[in-house]
Amino acid sequence: MTFYKIYDEITKRFSVIDRTPSFFQGLKAIFIRNFKIIWQYKFSTVLNFVNTLIVSSLFYYIALLIPDMQIEQDLYIVDSVSFIFAGFVLVNIATKILNKSLNSISSEMKQGTFETLSTLPFGLRKYFISEVAFEMIYGFITSIIFFIPIFLIFPIFRNVSISSASFFSLLLVLLSICLFFFSLSLLAANFTILIKRGKEISLVILSILHLLSGSMFPLSVFPGWLKIIAYFSPFTLGVQAFRLCLFGNGILTDSIVWSAVLFLILSSIVIIVAFLFTYKRIYKRIRETGSIHEY
Amino acid sequence: MALNYKSSFLMIIALNLIMIVMYFFFSRLNPDITIFGIDASYFEFCIIGLCLQMVVGTSLGTVCANIFNEISAGTWSSILPFFNFLEYSIGTTLAGAFISSFSIFIALGFTYLIAGFFFVITFQEIMLIFFLFILILISHMAISMLFAAFTIYYQKNSSLVSTLYHLTKTFTGIVFPVSLLSGFPLVLSKSLPLTYGLSTLQSILFSSSVDFRGYLFNCLILVSLSIIIGLIAWFLFSYSLKNAKKHGKCDWY
Repeated sequence: MTFYKIYDEITKRFSVIDRTPSFFQGLKAIFIRNFKIIWQYKFSTVLNFVNTLIVSSLFYYIALLIPDMQIEQDLYIVDSVSFIFAGFVLVNIATKILNKSLNSISSEMKQGTFETLSTLPFGLRKYFISEVAFEMIYGFITSIIFFIPIFLIFPIFRNVSISSASFFSLLLVLLSICLFFFSLSLLAANFTILIKRGKEISLVILSILHLLSGSMFPLSVFPGWLKIIAYFSPFTLGVQAFRLCLFGNGILTDSIVWSAVLFLILSSIVIIVAFLFTYKRIYKRIRETGSIHEY
Repeated sequence: MALNYKSSFLMIIALNLIMIVMYFFFSRLNPDITIFGIDASYFEFCIIGLCLQMVVGTSLGTVCANIFNEISAGTWSSILPFFNFLEYSIGTTLAGAFISSFSIFIALGFTYLIAGFFFVITFQEIMLIFFLFILILISHMAISMLFAAFTIYYQKNSSLVSTLYHLTKTFTGIVFPVSLLSGFPLVLSKSLPLTYGLSTLQSILFSSSVDFRGYLFNCLILVSLSIIIGLIAWFLFSYSLKNAKKHGKCDWY
């Protein structure tokens, strides 16, 4: 082999390294990396379950304080424990998606690995989508796994009978809520790289949505003006529709259910468009100001 | 453009206020707590616990979180030669508690605005509350010191702090009376320092009679818990530090 041939071979190999991985290759790599990290912190996963159990106890005891332990909303009456738990389940899933997505990005910033991630050929935008997708799927699955023993421990949803049509409508509402929080996490991640403090941003968004959703009480306790504001939050409609499917045998043809699904999907699309629109501007700005390494 | 720590602090205050608003609306469902022997409305009852929780959370997490930050930022190895654990713990806890106690005043002012609710307390009660407040801070600082020892040993942030925070939030009578509990949850509640602090505080604020014996008993429990946990924390800290020095792990994380 002549010197030139060897030189060509070396050049070819280096150019292969520069090849941009496809979205699915990157997604797979991020899923594998995150699972490896979770596996290293097994004890934290156990503690997360314990925390969910403790917070469930909090909502259970609070629900016991309600007079007659019954709550009425949208023409159905249900025991206060089930009513509050239905809201809590959704808040828990939403928290897992948004909080963990932003925490993961903040943690990369804090450890100094975010700068490296942004220079990889895979691209920061694809990284955000893959990371948030992982947190959404992982958060959804862990919530289901965590809540199975909790539903057995506490007397929740014992008297609830649900038709198959209501069950599928409920699943659709749940998926729409996940999609909404997926898009919200993407947009929030975008702003996190600009203004930092991802944890605080996620907590403020979540607590406002939690308050307006009426997860702990029926929306009738709100004054008129706050009720109007609350209905601007897609999560409020999602929680209301979820409860209607669960307790009032609501199905997709009910105006509350279909309007919630439609509103959640439309909001998700608008938020994703906003993410794509703001991404380039924000990325350009942090490159210009040289603030990518700050946290 | 990046948010500074001041805006971050303001966001935390906003969070606390949102939480208070949430319980304000929950109180509109008229939960009756007089049946548990507490002579107050539900919102009056829970606002005390919610305010106290803001500072307890800080004193519970400060020492441990600060040491973890030193480890991950790489400053841990450089402060070690002059490190005094007690001084560091008291300093960080006092600084954290001082800043977060602003939340209490803001929360009480906000409560007056949304619910028209305020406390009328005597000078004697103010002194009692202040004393109790210090005892609660010390007991939670001791717990944070204990977790800090684990952080030094494992070079990892202890997730146990968040679990203990959730336990404190749930089982100490912040948003529902402890008398609602029975069996294991009651045992759990009795093993948490805030249960004693909060029950004394509620007794000072809501009870018409003064029960000095009861106050003294709860304060003694708080002091005993602080001493026991503090001593265990000191022992574990010394062991962890020795281990880190022996294996040259002071610059790891």
